[in-house]
Amino acid sequence: MKIQNQGQCLTISEIPELTAVNSAQFREEVRAALPEAPPVIEIDLSETRFVDSSGLGALFALYRAAGEDDGITLRLLNPKPEVQQLLELTQMEQLFEIVQR
Amino acid sequence: MKALLICPSIRPAVPQLAEEGPLVTAPILGECLVCHWIEHLAARGAREIRIVASDRVDVVRAAVGSGSRWGVRLEVVSVSFEPTVAEAVATYRLRDETPVQWLPAPLDVVLMSHLPGCPDLPLFESYAGWFAALLAWMPQAITPVRIRVSELLPGVWVGRRARLSPQAQIVAPCWIGDQVFVEPGATVGPNAIVEDRAVVERAARVAQSWVGPDTLVGQMTSVSHSLAWGSSLTNWQTDSSLRVPDPFLLCSLARPLSALATGRPGSRPGSPARVTDTSLPPGAPFGWIAAPAGAAAPKLPRQANDPSL
Repeated sequence: MKIQNQGQCLTISEIPELTAVNSAQFREEVRAALPEAPPVIEIDLSETRFVDSSGLGALFALYRAAGEDDGITLRLLNPKPEVQQLLELTQMEQLFEIVQR
Repeated sequence: MKALLICPSIRPAVPQLAEEGPLVTAPILGECLVCHWIEHLAARGAREIRIVASDRVDVVRAAVGSGSRWGVRLEVVSVSFEPTVAEAVATYRLRDETPVQWLPAPLDVVLMSHLPGCPDLPLFESYAGWFAALLAWMPQAITPVRIRVSELLPGVWVGRRARLSPQAQIVAPCWIGDQVFVEPGATVGPNAIVEDRAVVERAARVAQSWVGPDTLVGQMTSVSHSLAWGSSLTNWQTDSSLRVPDPFLLCSLARPLSALATGRPGSRPGSPARVTDTSLPPGAPFGWIAAPAGAAAPKLPRQANDPSL
């Protein structure tokens, strides 16, 4: 996983999967980066092939943490169709701004 | 009179529909496709129906039985590949020398790639086509021999043994099959088909979608523009398919949890020892799963191969 602070945007990318195996690590690393987070956080899911409920939980935790600061915009970038389906199934697509670039 | 039905073999556009069985046994509003066709032909005077199948012939045979249910005599013939209608006419009809008459064309030899009376709605060319055909078929699916489903409200067909919570929202048009359970706060419809024995849990939504038999739609989930069967979820607009990893979101009720974990083929419901947690030792009584947390584990009955015996 790669976390890049690009001034106005914090980008989290290279996430091959978001599951029970790595969701805790994802949470900790992103949370550690949050205090200095710029107003936009983008999670690049273009390489993410598999997400389970733990991964969804990690995304939701990030949503809540970001929600504590009204100024932060959270975006999911380029989710694969399967991941998009899971977000729709769990109605989490209503929480995030999903962008295809 | 005689008729011949040709079972379509594999169709690459709709692989999910053939996962559990051949395409003609895929469930459509409480019955499989081949059963809908037999009923249709029997109502038009067919008494001898030959079914030509190349994919999982035993499953087709088990689905249709002897035909006594429809008052017809059935014969399921195994072939190595799917014949065209012209080939089937040449092979079976033109060479038939028995005095029994055949149904008039086009019902004499039928390729079951569509529902009876809906030749313009092919079932197996795309998932969207499948779903559109089922929606179009809904008003015709109630026939005099089908007594387990009735139209409760205009455009709302419900199985006799379905249980709908008064707090559930049912929006026409929709089909809720037999023994379906819709929990409080759930929404079914519009354009939703929930096949037999499915469960739509609290606050879940099913719209513009088909839910297969024995499928659990978990709490708060939203099945939209999709075909959901067991843990398979296919968006019929994009043809994207997903195997949902978490059973509390979407899963099959017809196979045990152990099969979900290992991918082994499941058994039908009614084998309670296999529905329990897979961590239980072999031979553990079913009552274990109901034991409260922290309670002492009951002693297992001694097994014949127990070395302490």
